[in-house]
Amino acid sequence: MSTVQTKLKQLAVATVAGFQLALPATAADSTNTPPDNSSDSSAAQAAEIEALKQELQALAQKVDALEHQQQAPPSAAPTPSSPAIADLDQKVRVLERQREIDQENAATLAKSQPKISMNQNGFSFSTADTNFVANFHGVLQVDSRTYFNNPKLPAGTDGFLLRRARPIFNGTVFKDFDFNFTPEFGGSTVQIVDAYLNYRYDSALQLQAGKFKSPIGLEQLQADVNTTFNERSIATDLIPYRDVGVELHGDLAGGVLSYAGGIFNGSPDLNTTTVNTGLSNGKAFVGRLFAQPFKNSDLVPLQGLGFGVGGSYQHDDPVTSELTPGYTTDGQQKFFTYGSKVLPAGTHWRIDPQGYYYYGPFSLLGEYDISAQRLTGGTVTGAKPVTLQNNAWEITGGWVLTGEDAGYNGITPLHPFNLHNGNWGAFQVVARYANLDVDNNAFKDGFASASTTGTFTASASEARAWSVGLNWYLNRNLRINGSFSRTDFTGGRGTGATVTEQPENVLFTRLQLAF
Amino acid sequence: MKTLLHLFLILALTLGVEAKEIKLLNVSYDPTRELYQEYNDAFAQYWKTKTGDDVVVSQSHGGSGKQAQSVINGLEADVVTLALAYDIDAISAQAKLLPANWAEKFPDHSTPYTSTIVFLVRKGNPRNIRNWDDLVKPGISVVVPNPKTSGGARWAYLAAYAYALETFNHDDPKARDFIRQLYKNVPVLDSGARGSTVTFAQRGIGDVLLAWENEAHLALKEFGADKFDIVTPPLSILAEPPVAVVAKNARRHGTTEVAAAYLNYLYSDVGQEIAAKNFYRPRDPAIAAKYAANFAPLKLVTIDQEFGGWTKAQATHFADGGVFDQIFQPQN
Repeated sequence: MSTVQTKLKQLAVATVAGFQLALPATAADSTNTPPDNSSDSSAAQAAEIEALKQELQALAQKVDALEHQQQAPPSAAPTPSSPAIADLDQKVRVLERQREIDQENAATLAKSQPKISMNQNGFSFSTADTNFVANFHGVLQVDSRTYFNNPKLPAGTDGFLLRRARPIFNGTVFKDFDFNFTPEFGGSTVQIVDAYLNYRYDSALQLQAGKFKSPIGLEQLQADVNTTFNERSIATDLIPYRDVGVELHGDLAGGVLSYAGGIFNGSPDLNTTTVNTGLSNGKAFVGRLFAQPFKNSDLVPLQGLGFGVGGSYQHDDPVTSELTPGYTTDGQQKFFTYGSKVLPAGTHWRIDPQGYYYYGPFSLLGEYDISAQRLTGGTVTGAKPVTLQNNAWEITGGWVLTGEDAGYNGITPLHPFNLHNGNWGAFQVVARYANLDVDNNAFKDGFASASTTGTFTASASEARAWSVGLNWYLNRNLRINGSFSRTDFTGGRGTGATVTEQPENVLFTRLQLAF
Repeated sequence: MKTLLHLFLILALTLGVEAKEIKLLNVSYDPTRELYQEYNDAFAQYWKTKTGDDVVVSQSHGGSGKQAQSVINGLEADVVTLALAYDIDAISAQAKLLPANWAEKFPDHSTPYTSTIVFLVRKGNPRNIRNWDDLVKPGISVVVPNPKTSGGARWAYLAAYAYALETFNHDDPKARDFIRQLYKNVPVLDSGARGSTVTFAQRGIGDVLLAWENEAHLALKEFGADKFDIVTPPLSILAEPPVAVVAKNARRHGTTEVAAAYLNYLYSDVGQEIAAKNFYRPRDPAIAAKYAANFAPLKLVTIDQEFGGWTKAQATHFADGGVFDQIFQPQN
């Protein structure tokens, strides 16, 4: 049976059926209508409907007859047996073709339409060819810190704080140019933490300029939302924070080897309040190599092994802004600063061997930092300019209790939190030990501060911190942390120190939203 | 040491003369698939013999207007071979990818071959369609692509318009009315010439397809001469599909020389023969004479003489709100 005949038959049958269905309804309607020559009009309607039914039945019979007559298979060209059928045939063909064209046009249009997505990775808008992309992400961290100190020597302030509150705008223009703009509304000052452009020739050769993290420390380079504990370890106190400069970077051999090297303004150790201008005329040369030799191999247990080294070399001008504002504990209390007359006096170099190992739920990350800076201004009589070498190291381990894979870029729960389904997300236990040892000459020659002003009262020569914690990943976006840190101090300068005369014991909690 | 030096020099020379593989992208319009498939092979052979380098030419086909827009939007064509000059003008004006005088870069205003619009009818011409005025008769179903997106469709529209102007002594309102009547008989508008061929030849829609001359011949070859006939009307338009190097893209790709040679070779005897074999009217008189049997004689009007050139024709007829928008009502 041809398509046309089928359609005609279906049309006729459907029409007859429709009339048959409509008839009782019409009759019902007529019963509700006020009588007005009702018997005559009802009889006339019934006669008209009956006539229509007969006509339609005749039409259906004609269609049946046509089915028998038209035995030839359909051809590309119309083979009408009558002008009316030919006309109908053309109409059907046109409708079908129009549908095809509409579908083609819709498909073409869909390919050229901008794409909008909203999911666990944030909001994204892009052109159809993805040459232009705009993303919106956000980070919100609401922390609490509770200090357990000797009541006679109050140190940290208990309370809640907005640790980070960052809208993140990033994206791509003209296919190869990436940008990132990230302001910080958390803490006590509003500042720009990241603002850079990145030209991507390909993944192996990229040029980035602006303000971003110096490529040195492993823990420092880990995204803020993925660090194991609320605060990075005291080992990262020797690493610069963000800096302004230009960097060449890329991944070679599918990420087996990553490199980064550039020239920056030069930033002191742990300068957590970032600036957008140069601190002095001196510049820092910063670089890092990091290898993951088994990343793409079949040796699954070694795929998560990575190691490398970062470092910097800079010449500091004799200005206080090139001097660290102080090393801080896990609880963010200063336990060491330089004296007020101390100034940089030349070179400042850092070296940072580092590595991590991830295998299934297990994670291990460690690094050893050395920061050596030439200084002048020791208060001991006859003190000469010296190069003080401060050393620090840390090791962090973790285990995901719920079996998910741990990773440098965070954990994705296999079963996101949903009480209706009995899913709780992922839980991870973590532990860390870190040590920061200030050069003894800082104390022997009077470079360390013995000030008793402000919240900080004296410098310790060494801090040892251990921490344990439990991280609860409700889903990819929400995380709740709880951890305890204890820091012990030895040596130092000054007396009556409320921070360094007693161990620091702090309980941290965090509620984090990141998308 | 000397031996090492010699080896080094030999190695350097060997590396220096190693054959390159050059890639070209030719963005073209719908019905040129077969033409350039054959031509690309011939040119690759020519270039290999001449320079030792391999050339791989990729093709992109679609409605001419759409293709031009793709190049404007970033499709990195080294050369464009489109259906009409206006589309290349648009690339020049909007994307500044080639100079405004691009048409002067090659002979014959950069149109190495010409064509025209003919009628493809069903075998035996059952509706007896002989001339343009047969297309406006009630009950005649005409298949033609959308002139907003197809170069061939714009040529077809202008050919019909030229006929009407001539028939009505350049009475423009009457000519418009003629065009209105014609497009009333168009049941469906495809976006390109190839789509219209599918509509007519494969889907069995319509009595006549207004087609590029080469497309009509290809339809005969592809679907069988026993299914369709070509009717050449007494008057049609001289369609001049132009070619151009997309200068900025070619410069960036380092293909300027080979791209120019690629288009120049279209004017060679080999290129002209290939064009003629694919039913494009060659510019070369000798080759045109050789293939005269393929091309029925007819009166050909030019867009310059009848419509004042492409820029004016585009603005008057095909721009948004132009004559076509005024006269065409999509059928429900």
